[in-house]
Amino acid sequence: MIASDAATIASVRASGEPPIVQLQAINKWYGDYHALRDIDLAVNGGERIVVCGPSGSGKSTLVRTVNLLESFEQGRVQVCGIDVAAHAITRAARLAVNRRVGMVFQQFNLFPHMSVLANLTVGPVFGRGTSRAEAHDIAMHYLARVGLTDHAQKRPAQLSGGQQQRVAIARALCTRPQLVLFDEPTAALDPEMVNEVLQTMESLAADGMTMIVVTHEMGFARRVADRVVFMDQGQIIEIAKPDDFFERPQSRRLASFLSRILTH
Amino acid sequence: MTARFVRDAPIDARSAPVAAIAWPLRWRRAWFATPAMSALSLLLLALFAFACVRFFDWAIVRAHWVGQSSAACPGDEGACWAFVIARWKPWLVGNYPIGQIWRAWACFGAFALFWIWVVRRPTAARPGPVLLGFVFLPVAFLLLLIGGGPLAFVAPSQIGGLLLTLVVTLSTFATALPTGLCIALGRRSELPLVRALCGLFVEGMRAVPLLAVLFIAVTLLPMFLPHGVDVDLFTRAVIAFALFNAAMAAEVFRGGLQAVGRGQIEAATTVGLSRFATLRWIVLPQAIPAVVPALVNIMIAVIKETTLLSVIGVNDLLGAVEIGAKSPDWVGESNILTSGYVFLALAYLAICYSLSRYSRRLEPSS
Repeated sequence: MIASDAATIASVRASGEPPIVQLQAINKWYGDYHALRDIDLAVNGGERIVVCGPSGSGKSTLVRTVNLLESFEQGRVQVCGIDVAAHAITRAARLAVNRRVGMVFQQFNLFPHMSVLANLTVGPVFGRGTSRAEAHDIAMHYLARVGLTDHAQKRPAQLSGGQQQRVAIARALCTRPQLVLFDEPTAALDPEMVNEVLQTMESLAADGMTMIVVTHEMGFARRVADRVVFMDQGQIIEIAKPDDFFERPQSRRLASFLSRILTH
Repeated sequence: MTARFVRDAPIDARSAPVAAIAWPLRWRRAWFATPAMSALSLLLLALFAFACVRFFDWAIVRAHWVGQSSAACPGDEGACWAFVIARWKPWLVGNYPIGQIWRAWACFGAFALFWIWVVRRPTAARPGPVLLGFVFLPVAFLLLLIGGGPLAFVAPSQIGGLLLTLVVTLSTFATALPTGLCIALGRRSELPLVRALCGLFVEGMRAVPLLAVLFIAVTLLPMFLPHGVDVDLFTRAVIAFALFNAAMAAEVFRGGLQAVGRGQIEAATTVGLSRFATLRWIVLPQAIPAVVPALVNIMIAVIKETTLLSVIGVNDLLGAVEIGAKSPDWVGESNILTSGYVFLALAYLAICYSLSRYSRRLEPSS
């Protein structure tokens, strides 16, 4: 089961199924503030999407609506075959979606009172009823993948930021997600630790995992993304393949955004 | 002047220098740094020494130690420890029948063992020891002390003194902590009615003095009970204590629950944990250890609050002092009552200070 990751994902992609994520006309307000405006986005199985944009543009809110951590007032979300309209966001729907979708947070959000290993097994064991032995094997498999086998018994606080984020990635993978969301995974890291996390994400992408990544790491976007989404003021301004996105921006806003972040 | 510096040999680690200031100098700096500080130090020392000497004179030098009646303590000069020593039984166990007193010793002994072998260990905050101390012990104590069946029945009103303090404190905790946790969770409920009722209960209890709650429990509770059902004074008092302290504990738990960040709950959701599993495995294991010191503070307050029981006629330590000083053998000199109160204060000081040291040790920073 563990060895066949890539094969399962590839078979899903080949079968010509409907998109794994489909956002339709999502609108969200924080009070009077219109945070997401008419968001339409479809993501196919195996696709790697990078979302970027200036701060406050709604990137994080967008990925958090995919797994229903944020509610929205209009529109509908279809994720991994679960169809949720704005008025039907219930706890049960959120739980059902989250059992199919993994997430990696900017602040890691590891459970500080548990060992690294327990962080990885708590979801499978108490969330979906996997046996402890099986959860342990899965956890050790993914810990090895992120190169932290030796740290299984440590507490998160004993690890560096980069190691903690790699644990968080392994934790997301342990739930066997069909899709992993990354919400600025390297933004809280010291510069010297950014690369180890990006390399882990790239190896995950190379396996064919479906990913939606909010990040400012444009190098990562160029190397890994199938499509790059540019957001500003709660709207999707432009979606393009990386080459077109960086070399031939169509909108003024993207061009000025790129000129601001790529000059230094 | 070179514009560039490159270190060619790294500096080896050296051990830190030994503190070189001799103690007389350190001592002088701490106590007599400036003339004003010297004067203040000397003044406070003199006051402290004066108080100690007077207390020593009263409590040891002029004290009367032996005797069975107030005749042993003539005059008002010194402490009357004879009174305290002669009346050891009301202090410790109240009116508990002398033939059954081994049951009281068993309780004290079990609690002492629990304290030495469980509470002082670093593992004391785990669920096992907590359940043992706050659920098993109070139930076992009550069963043993009240008896019935093979053991002779002893009315709860005969339990008094330190034994009462112990039993009331433990029973209060056994009931108040779970209730408090439920109320704290209720205040976070999604049902508006549950939220409102829990909030109302906590705010109401916090705004009413404990003494009023006690009187209400004693005088008003029988009106709500069906005819023929009588709850004795002891049980009514424990109910009042439990409800009052449940509100206090609920506030403490609420603080602990709020201290667990939203990110933790979101992370638990994304790994597929249900709301209950999130509470059980993520929120409570972080919230409860954080509030243990505050809970010990509530426990200290409960121990001290047991003195209020004497006001409603339950025979606690304070009641034992007052009843003792009114008994025919000991009527007379005012130093008899004073000695009783001083002994009472020292007993509470010993219990509460050791508890507060214990809670200091539990604080996460240390």
